[in-house]
Amino acid sequence: MNYIVRDLMVPISEYSTIPEGSTLFEAVVALENAKIEHDRAVYSHGMVLIMGKNKMVLGKLSQLDILRSLAPRDTFTDKLDEMGKFGFSSNFISTIREEHRTKKTSLEEFYTQPETLNMKVEDFMKTITAHEFVDENTSLDAAAHIMFMKNRLSLLVTKEDRFVGVLRLSDVFSTVLNTMKEAVSSGRKI
Amino acid sequence: MREIEKLYDRIIQRVNINLRELEFDVNPYVQKIIPFVQMDKFYAFYGISPHHPLNFQFRNSNLAGSYFLGKCKVTNALLYKSDIRGDELKKKGSLFRYQDYEVPVNEDEEIDIQDSFLIKTLVHNYSHDPETLEKFFITDTIAMNYANIHGSPSNGCFLGVFATVDLTTIRDCVIGNFSYVQAGEISHLNIEPGTIWIRNPEKFNFFYQHQKDTLNDYIYFSAGTRPQGLFIDFIEDRKEAFQHVFDMVNMEHSVPVPNNASLDRFAVTKGQAHIDENVLVAQRAFIQNSWLGKGSNAQENCYIINSRLEGCDITAHGAKICEADLGRHVFVGFNSFLRGRPDARLKVGEGTIIMPHTIIDTRESLVIPAGHLVWGMIKNAKDLATNCLSIEEFSAIQSSISLGNLFFEGSGAEFVSAFKERIEHILQDNGAFFNGSDRKGHAQKNQNISFNTIQPYPEGMKKGLFPTIIIEP
Repeated sequence: MNYIVRDLMVPISEYSTIPEGSTLFEAVVALENAKIEHDRAVYSHGMVLIMGKNKMVLGKLSQLDILRSLAPRDTFTDKLDEMGKFGFSSNFISTIREEHRTKKTSLEEFYTQPETLNMKVEDFMKTITAHEFVDENTSLDAAAHIMFMKNRLSLLVTKEDRFVGVLRLSDVFSTVLNTMKEAVSSGRKI
Repeated sequence: MREIEKLYDRIIQRVNINLRELEFDVNPYVQKIIPFVQMDKFYAFYGISPHHPLNFQFRNSNLAGSYFLGKCKVTNALLYKSDIRGDELKKKGSLFRYQDYEVPVNEDEEIDIQDSFLIKTLVHNYSHDPETLEKFFITDTIAMNYANIHGSPSNGCFLGVFATVDLTTIRDCVIGNFSYVQAGEISHLNIEPGTIWIRNPEKFNFFYQHQKDTLNDYIYFSAGTRPQGLFIDFIEDRKEAFQHVFDMVNMEHSVPVPNNASLDRFAVTKGQAHIDENVLVAQRAFIQNSWLGKGSNAQENCYIINSRLEGCDITAHGAKICEADLGRHVFVGFNSFLRGRPDARLKVGEGTIIMPHTIIDTRESLVIPAGHLVWGMIKNAKDLATNCLSIEEFSAIQSSISLGNLFFEGSGAEFVSAFKERIEHILQDNGAFFNGSDRKGHAQKNQNISFNTIQPYPEGMKKGLFPTIIIEP
C-alpha cells in the first residue's frame, strides 16, 4: 500500500495545543491531559504545541524540554554546560553539577516556586524551523527520509500552507512494521 | 586605494570566511588599530648567524618593525612589530617523535606566514603537528597585540590581545584576550577571554577561567575599542626605552655580560642589572635593577623590575615580574604578571611553577612556598589558598578536583611530570646547563648575531609594502 502523510498524521483537532503566553504549569497540565485523553494506538502524544494568534504553530514542548527548563541555572551551571566542548567527561561534569546543586535550593522548592510555575512557554519552547514542515500529500517514504536525515521525532503537516496535523515517528514506524508483518504472514519468503 | 589597503581588506575577508561558522567578524577589532601611516615608518630586520639556517622570502607584505631569524617565508601578510623567531625549528635529518612514531624530517622546517595580520606577535618554537613536519604555517590568521603563537600552526583564526596558543594546531578558532591554550589540536572553538586550558587527551585536562570583571582591569579589548587596562599602561610607560635601542645602529651593552651569556642588542637594561653566566635575555625584554642568576632567562616581551632571580629561573614569553624574589628553578609561565610592592615584596619559593597567564598582584607581603603549583588571580593570602597546591598534592590527584575556578580531570602526576619535563627542555634549549664545551643553547648561540635592515617602498601605490626579497646563504 502506498501511504501518504495524510493517512498517518494525527489531526490538529486531536492534538494537544496551548496558546502563546501560557505558563509552564499550564504546559505541564496540557502534556498530562494529552497523555490521558488522546492515547492513540500504543503510543501517546509526547508533545504539546504552542499556537500563535493566527493559528500558526510557534513552537513545541516535549517532556524533555520541560525538564530542561526546570534545571536550576546560574552563571556556574552555564559554565558547566560549556565545559563539554573542552573535553571534560560527562561523569566529571555531572559530579561537579551535583556538588553545586546541593549547595543551592532543593529541587522540590525550586519546582514549586511561583517564578518557576509562571515561566512563559515562549521562554523555553523549541521554536519551529522551516524543515520541520511536510505537505500532507508527501509519500511516507519521503517523509521518513526527512525524519531520519534531520533526526526528527515528528513533522508538522500542512495543507495549502495551513497547519493540519502532526506526523509522528511512532506512527511511521508502526506502519512500516505492520507492512512487514503482513507481507510475511501472506506467505512472502524471508 | 594603495596596495597595502587592498592587502588589508583581502586578509580581513579571508579570516572572516574561516570564522563565519562562529559568526565572528574581525573587522571591528582590527580596523584603525594600526593606522597605515604607522606601517610605513619602521624598518624590518633579520638576523644572520652560523647557528641557524638562513633563508628568508618576503613577498607582497608589510613587515614594519618586525624581526626574523631562521627560515621564514612571508607572503601577502602584514606583520607589525612582530618577532618571527625561527631558532628552534626542526633541522633536516632530525627525528620527530610523536606517540609511538619516529618520523624523519626531510628538510629544514620553515615558518610560512600567508594572508595574515600579526600585531606585536611572537612566533616561536616549531610545529608540533605531526602532519606538517617541515612547515610551521600561519595562514588566514589575525593575531592582536602581544599574542604568542608558540609551536602552533594556525589556519583561519583570530587571537585576542595577550592570547597564547602553545603546541596546538588551531583551525577556525577565536582565542579570547589573555587566554592560553595548549590542547594538541582544536577547531571551530570560540574561547572566552581569560581561559587557561591545558589538555592532553586520555591523560589530563586543566581548565581555569579568570573572572571577567577582575580581568578587565588588567586587559580589556572588544570590538571598536583599543586594547586598554593595566597591562597596556604598564607597557606604554616603558615604551620609550625601546625606541632608543631600535634607533641605534650599534649598541654596546650597558652592563657586564659573561661570555657564555647573551643579552640581545634589542633588549633594554636600566639601572643596576646583573647578568650571570648562561643567562639569556631575548629581544624586547626589559630588565631594570634586577639580578638574573646563573642559567636564568628573560624571553621576548618580558619585564623584570626590581627583582632577584636566584638561578635557572624561566621567565616565559611576555611574563612580567616586579618587586619579587624568586628562588632557584622557578617557572613563570607565558604572560604571567607577578607584582609585589617595594614595601610588600612577593617571594616565590624554589621549584614553584607559576602557570601561564597567572596574575599575582599583591599589596601585602606574600610568600609562595617552595614546590607549589600556582594559577589564576591572586591578590592576597586568601586568594592564594584557593589558587595553589603543593606539587606533591597535585601529583596525588588521580581522577579529578575542582578548586575555586579550577577544574582538573585526569592524572595530576602526569600533568606535573609533563610540566617538569618541559621546564628542563626550556632550560636546556636556552643554554642554562652549558658547561664550557657541551650543552650549548640560545644563550651561547645567540651571542653574535648580525642584523640587517630592510625598508618598504617610500611612496607611490606600493608605499609601505616591502619589495620581494629573497635572502639565502
